[in-house]
Amino acid sequence: MEKKTLITRSMVVLILISIAMVVSPAVNSLPNGIGYEQVKSGGCNCHNGVADTGVVVALDGLPEQYNVSETYELTISFTGGPSTDGAANLGGFNLWASGGEITPVDATVQSRDSSEVTHTEAGNDYRSWTVEWTAPSHGRNVDFVLHVNSVNGDGVQGPEDKWNRLSITVAGSLGAALDPADPFTVLATLIIISGILLVITILYGFYRTNPDAFDWEHLAPWITEWLTSTDHKKIGTLYFVQGMFFLGIGGILAMMIRLQLAGPEMGFISQDQYNQFFTLHGTTMIFLAAMPLIAGFANWIVPLQIGAPDLAMPRLNALSFWLQPFAALLIFTGVFSGEGADTGWTGYAPYIVTAGAHTGVTMWVAGQIMLVASSTLTGINFLTTMAVMRAEGMGWMQMPLFTWSILVANLMLFLSIPAFGVGLIQVYLDRTISTAFYDISAGGDPLLWSHLFWYFGHPEVYVVIVPAFGVISEVLATSARRSIFGYRSMVYALAGIGILSFIVYGHHMLTSGMSPTLRFVTMMTTMLVAVPTGIKIFNWLKTMHGGSLVYRTHTLWALGFIVTFTLGGISGMFFPSIAMDTHLHETYFVVAHFHYVLVGGTVFGFFAAIYYWYPKMTGRMLDEKLGTLHFLTAFVTYNGIFWPMHRLGVVGMPRRTHTYFITTEDFTNLPEWAADWNLFISVSAFLFFFSNFILVANMLLSLVRGDKAPADPWGGWSFEWMTSSPPPTPSFDWHNLPVLKDANEHIANEPGRVGKWFSRLMVPEDHEEVSH
Amino acid sequence: MSGDYDHDYHTPEPWGPHDWGHGAPHNSFSPIFLSIGIAIFLFAMAEAWSYGTYNPGNIPMILLGLLVIGFALFIWWRQDLSFDGHYEPLATGVPFRGVQIRKVGVWVFLMSEMMVFTSLFSTYMRYRLGIENCGTVFDRGMFDPATNPTGWQEGVAVTCFEPASHLIASSWWHLAPGAINTFALILSSFTIVQALRYAKMPDLDDEARRKKVYRYLGATWFLACLFLTLKMIEWFIGFYVPEISAIGLHEHDIISLVDEGYTINADHYQHHSYVDEATGAHMVANIQVSASLFYVTTGTHGAHVAGGIIGLSYMTFKAWKGLYTPNNAVSIEYFGLYWHFVDLVWVLVFPFFYLY
Amino acid sequence: MGLITPLYDDLWNEYLVWSALVGLFTFGWLYHHSFFYRSEDGQNPNVDDLKVGVFPAHYDNMKLEITWTVVPFILIVYLTFISWAPLDNIWSAANEEDGFFGDECVVGESSNLIFNQSEGLYEADCYHEIGISGKQWVWSFDCYDLDADICDTGFAQIEGRDSPLISLKAGEAYLAIMTSEDVTHAPWFVSLGIKEDTQPGQVTTQWVLADEVEDFLLLCTEYCGDDHAYMIAGVNVHA
Repeated sequence: MEKKTLITRSMVVLILISIAMVVSPAVNSLPNGIGYEQVKSGGCNCHNGVADTGVVVALDGLPEQYNVSETYELTISFTGGPSTDGAANLGGFNLWASGGEITPVDATVQSRDSSEVTHTEAGNDYRSWTVEWTAPSHGRNVDFVLHVNSVNGDGVQGPEDKWNRLSITVAGSLGAALDPADPFTVLATLIIISGILLVITILYGFYRTNPDAFDWEHLAPWITEWLTSTDHKKIGTLYFVQGMFFLGIGGILAMMIRLQLAGPEMGFISQDQYNQFFTLHGTTMIFLAAMPLIAGFANWIVPLQIGAPDLAMPRLNALSFWLQPFAALLIFTGVFSGEGADTGWTGYAPYIVTAGAHTGVTMWVAGQIMLVASSTLTGINFLTTMAVMRAEGMGWMQMPLFTWSILVANLMLFLSIPAFGVGLIQVYLDRTISTAFYDISAGGDPLLWSHLFWYFGHPEVYVVIVPAFGVISEVLATSARRSIFGYRSMVYALAGIGILSFIVYGHHMLTSGMSPTLRFVTMMTTMLVAVPTGIKIFNWLKTMHGGSLVYRTHTLWALGFIVTFTLGGISGMFFPSIAMDTHLHETYFVVAHFHYVLVGGTVFGFFAAIYYWYPKMTGRMLDEKLGTLHFLTAFVTYNGIFWPMHRLGVVGMPRRTHTYFITTEDFTNLPEWAADWNLFISVSAFLFFFSNFILVANMLLSLVRGDKAPADPWGGWSFEWMTSSPPPTPSFDWHNLPVLKDANEHIANEPGRVGKWFSRLMVPEDHEEVSH
Repeated sequence: MSGDYDHDYHTPEPWGPHDWGHGAPHNSFSPIFLSIGIAIFLFAMAEAWSYGTYNPGNIPMILLGLLVIGFALFIWWRQDLSFDGHYEPLATGVPFRGVQIRKVGVWVFLMSEMMVFTSLFSTYMRYRLGIENCGTVFDRGMFDPATNPTGWQEGVAVTCFEPASHLIASSWWHLAPGAINTFALILSSFTIVQALRYAKMPDLDDEARRKKVYRYLGATWFLACLFLTLKMIEWFIGFYVPEISAIGLHEHDIISLVDEGYTINADHYQHHSYVDEATGAHMVANIQVSASLFYVTTGTHGAHVAGGIIGLSYMTFKAWKGLYTPNNAVSIEYFGLYWHFVDLVWVLVFPFFYLY
Repeated sequence: MGLITPLYDDLWNEYLVWSALVGLFTFGWLYHHSFFYRSEDGQNPNVDDLKVGVFPAHYDNMKLEITWTVVPFILIVYLTFISWAPLDNIWSAANEEDGFFGDECVVGESSNLIFNQSEGLYEADCYHEIGISGKQWVWSFDCYDLDADICDTGFAQIEGRDSPLISLKAGEAYLAIMTSEDVTHAPWFVSLGIKEDTQPGQVTTQWVLADEVEDFLLLCTEYCGDDHAYMIAGVNVHA
């Protein structure tokens, strides 16, 4: 042999060996076996680009239709291709199944995971292999994908090696497996179904008013009446229906979030969807559920309690309401296009103005602007009503506590919400006509938004909780058959909370890089909030002393409220302590805390309100048995959701994240049990969600066949119990307004010194000249 | 005294006109249409502009929104036109007893309005105090690695705060629209009070009252329109200054703020005085924040004036029909309260944004 | 209960005790009254003679009301007071006489970070500066000119993702100089119990006191957009 030829051949062999070494990790039919993930799309591509029909693949032993959980022995074999007897290697395979478990029976086969097997190094020398497949228990169709290659046995992969693919579907008793649903489709479907249910309920409500006149002739004026009414009771009902509807929608969103968090690194919803869902959950629950529920009760009860025929400005009141559903449409616009707001309900700048945030953010902001307008009008209307339309004999210090709480809430709301409105308009303009309020490159300050937002945001959360205080004061005193303990200190505590709410907002920014002086001041003022809140709790407890507590559903809710709200109040004390806040801020401890005060406080308070005032509103008593069942199930499952969250937050679970990380060998994060607790929370969340349908069912059933309610079923003292159930329209006769008597021999008809000075200021000098 | 609250519920008329003898309207389509209109308008505006880029094709939607809003206002006013003061609820609770309820409502409304402008002013203070003034930057001189490392460089935009007053207060002519506007608003506060005075005057015959009231309301309307017109001239149009050299009044034609480059997205703004004398180099500045503040704050005030014009148009119409009497004159007062507030805000906005 | 750092744990334990006391007191009272003062079957005595349209007789007791205004007030003054001390550590001034962590270390100098049990505060001879910068959605660390032993950056596989890693040395005090390139982020050193926002266009700082040998995660706790949940980094505190 010529030397030159030898060198050339040696070079070729060396190059081939080098190539083989480089690609060896991917070489199939070699010791490592065939990995499914690579071959799924490309096949055994290292052997050849395309499948070769010359290789005939067989998978024997599969039944036509499998029996669940039964084990089958499968034989994989092939014929054809370059495989020749006596060569070093013959071939290899990879078998994957979409369900069940595949296990090797001998050393020629190895398992990759329970759904995938391949050959071993020893298995390279065979043309058929045997495995066992245990059928799954779900009964759905199972797909098998088998790749087999036939090699020429030279130990080097190359175009002369051939492979082929075989796909088989084995029927299960239940047919094809369902495709995983798109969460957006699920959400949209649920919203639409809820909407349809709402319409059906409304139509049924109409049907019940007069079963003989169920036709368009009668429906049209009935609908028109509801769309155009300025009666405070009708608008209250509209608010109420809206609030309950969005409580359901917000609940659905929460369930989607909990499904995602049921296990670590789940993929039920994508991160993008998760971000939108928690944003919408917060926005919906606070602005579209809690606020309308409060406004609904305020509309219904406040004029009745102060002895006014209606609100001061009824048409504006209608405007306040109608702004809300259309604002909700704007806020939800993004969901139906998949580009919903993904900023969190706080919408922190500068993220909210960046193009990286979804386009739906602009719509979200637009909707929020409308809600701000709505809240401002509501505030004006209620403050005016309470200031000027109190009945004869009802001074400021004779107002029922629910009315007081609405007064304080509206005062907080309408003095703070303009700041939010201005911030929103700035963001809206930044996102549309390109102003630069939060453009960092032009010198914008992200903290400015935080200040404007939390100047509103903190009073806002008190706006949501304070009316619940009012409800509990009414319910508990009436149930204990006592007058409330320390009426005056209750009022001062409410006012104190109202004033403090404006100077504590910085505790949301304790880790924001705000100046330490401001943070320190905020820490002290925030601690102060505990004082008026404590006064309220102790006054409620003392009210029961010496009383005769009548156990009704609303009593149960009121007592439950005290439990959960006290717990929420205590956990709230951990945040102003800055050394702890640096750890607890933005964790599940925060989530636990505010759900304890917002669900355990506001929602429980308003559940009490529903059971308390439903007879007044509809003239029908609610079912006490269903009510008690609702309380027991909801109270237990509610604590099951939020109590474990405290611990999760402390051990390191951040909020607003799509997943959480369990400690591995390499890094410490959440302990193993965190995953179990998250599953527990998710299960509790679903139970809580469904338990509230008991309330819905109770309200609907009682509307139809509840007992007729007397004017004063619980024995309360305020004016609403004076009217019939349901009250007439107008609620009181303009010519014959009620007069409040006072068991304390105290006459409040004449204004005090400040009041006299104020009336001189308000009444024009020439007032008498004008004849009306 | 406090009207006849006769509440035998008559057939509701949600489209108006309303029979006020039966009390306030029980039904109105106005609120729901107003809400729909606002929603369409905000939606279409958000579709039409995205980060300063105009996407054509949304004009019909915007117009539709405005049309629905206008329609809702029309219903509202149609119901209101027949208001003759017969129904004017008075307060029963202390300490407001005897005061018109709606007047208290307006005062409460003004409280929240005050918070709107407070928020705008706090934004202004944050940026005015937090961002270095462009004049200060310019005074530091041009960049020089050895002697002046903090100076500005030609062609490199400095982020700094450039108050609009630097342009406006630079010449009397430039200041003229703002100054005239100030007097116009103060004067309009006077005319609205005159309208109220004549409307309330009991011994005036109807025709004389009609004339006085609608003329004074018309004058208020005119002054408000003048205000907005001058503002448009100052922002977008500019004006020609005649040469009166005898009294030395001529400087140069006044260019509008926008034409001077003072726009909300001005990241390369050049003021004519920011020129280095020695080299002739121009300092360029990124003034988007300052311009946004100026346009949005004065614009918010302008929007209040525009809202006033819409209200005044209706009131002037009602006065022209001779429908204001001493009985319902107090509704002019409600508007007057709002109008005084808008006037007062201008008195604050003017020095902060035009002079200082 | 060793949870995070002594700074946090002492407060936490103290707060837990007071929470338990307040809870026991309140719930004990609640349960007693709700059972003891429940109305018997068929009985509805209307204790305070509530009547519709009559403002009920006042039921109050000035002494009691003042008691439960003043006692909680004293408690919160105490809680504020104990929350005060750690602030000295958290906001300790850099490079000043009254700082707890001295001046910036010179090359080769060690912080000798110790926890002073009697004061309840951390003390160190000097500190090292490190840089942390947030960007959608990745952290970047900067060790400036520090020795690789004191501070080193790198990459680690966390949950299958290539994540940035910072290696610190136990017993050293670090001052993190932080900023952001786009939107607000917040690095949370989970096992150290500290976090502070990083703001674009601004510089914020926080003390990173590496007291124990541990590998833990650094998470982003200020919502910053699409990949917020996976904006993680590894922190390796070695001996």
